[in-house]
Amino acid sequence: MPKTMPLVGNEFVSGFRLQTEWATLIAAAFFFGKIGSGLFLMSLFTHSGVGALVGLLIVLIGKGGAHLLYLGRPERFWRGLMKPGTSWVARGFWAMMIMMVSGTLFLILPAGSAGSLVFEVIAGLSAFVVAIYDGFLMNSSPSIPLWNTAMMPVLCLFYSLLGGTTLTLFLIEFGFAQVAIQTVFLSNMEIVLLSTNLIVIGLYLLSMTNATAAAKESLRLLVSGTYALPFYALALGFGLVFTLLMSYFVGTAGGAGVVGLITAADLIGHFFLFYLLLRVGVYKPVLGQLTM
Amino acid sequence: MHLGMVIDLKRCVGCQACTITCKSENGTPPEVLFTKVLEQVAGEYPIVKKKFIPVLCNHCEDAPCVRVCPTGATTKREDGIVLVDHQKCIGCRACYVACPYKNRIFLKKGSLKNGYFGKQLTPYEQVKYPKWQEGVVLKCTFCVERVDQGLEPACVQTCPADARIFGDLSNPESKVSRLIRQRGGFQPLSEDNTEPSVYYLE
Repeated sequence: MPKTMPLVGNEFVSGFRLQTEWATLIAAAFFFGKIGSGLFLMSLFTHSGVGALVGLLIVLIGKGGAHLLYLGRPERFWRGLMKPGTSWVARGFWAMMIMMVSGTLFLILPAGSAGSLVFEVIAGLSAFVVAIYDGFLMNSSPSIPLWNTAMMPVLCLFYSLLGGTTLTLFLIEFGFAQVAIQTVFLSNMEIVLLSTNLIVIGLYLLSMTNATAAAKESLRLLVSGTYALPFYALALGFGLVFTLLMSYFVGTAGGAGVVGLITAADLIGHFFLFYLLLRVGVYKPVLGQLTM
Repeated sequence: MHLGMVIDLKRCVGCQACTITCKSENGTPPEVLFTKVLEQVAGEYPIVKKKFIPVLCNHCEDAPCVRVCPTGATTKREDGIVLVDHQKCIGCRACYVACPYKNRIFLKKGSLKNGYFGKQLTPYEQVKYPKWQEGVVLKCTFCVERVDQGLEPACVQTCPADARIFGDLSNPESKVSRLIRQRGGFQPLSEDNTEPSVYYLE
């Protein structure tokens, strides 16, 4: 499809149309879901009960709250569990519910008991699904080519693990949590994940340069259009490059202030990346371009 | 039976009569359009070509909106008509985002408080508005109440240029099937494999 089709709003003109329904609240729900489940997974790995509890609370209050605020009929939210066979929204909802119940039981039961181990495994698996399902949700629809790629769940997974690692370091540095592994290992893991995320985003955007015209239009909006400034400044610059440099050259040796700054930068970048990916979603024109 | 529509782009004159009659038939609130006619222009003055593209819900065979709905509010009837049960819809808008044709409408909170002439609803709006709910997703129903009585959708009946033809796509002898066969009818965004029940003729 040629690039010359216009980007239109609700007017009666054929052209590329911006996705407008999923914006701030859905971005917030995705963000809290990823960092909460990432923190929970990292807490299972580092044996941090406080981290696991904070992870559960972030998912329950942050993600659950944002979803409830977004729904047109929040009083019917339970109906969202009805069709997990085909709907990623329902699957995500189920995963979140299972994570909440099994995660709570894991924390309540005596550490090391058989029941605790079983619920630890169930909670870990469901947290993994919560971390990546929004990628599948965005990928499952053919309507917006920018999202209709297998890279989305991968991007979600790496961002979730990065968010979880950053928050774990934050909890350790501020004395809220004790972990069973060395902090230097987590610091190195953070650097590896930041580098990986930069590479994954690069590959994702590179794959869009060879995609359909609508995906290219989305890419244009993101890298050189209306949303370029927040993309370069917040999502990439502050969220990844600054965080990577700070983590590599200073890291936890810089003390609580530096770790707090790294955490804030990482979380801001994380939120804005997915917020911007939602905002630049473009639908294809219904019919191709009119030719003379 | 597989109900569908054929839209003859050569016949459409862009009069928006279908848009108006749809609003009249369904009594939809302001800013809610189940169908409308888009314009497309090519060339530069004085050599210009204009095309009108009527759009509506395509009632796809493999409808992404049915697949992504977490509640089962969006369903497909045996005759191919895709409907939304407003009592089951939670307003998550997954269907809205998943529709490649962007032919769904979310009825925002407060939409039913104001009619076309402000807060005082007209007698017509007072009769029609109770069937809608705020906070849910709406869409074209192929005028299912009319179809169930053996009538054509309002847009088809109203079109002065006879650009919209409604019928049974599964019957090879129906007018819609013959037009698609004879004039090479094509589906919008066929690359998305949604199998729309609306075909266009050029």
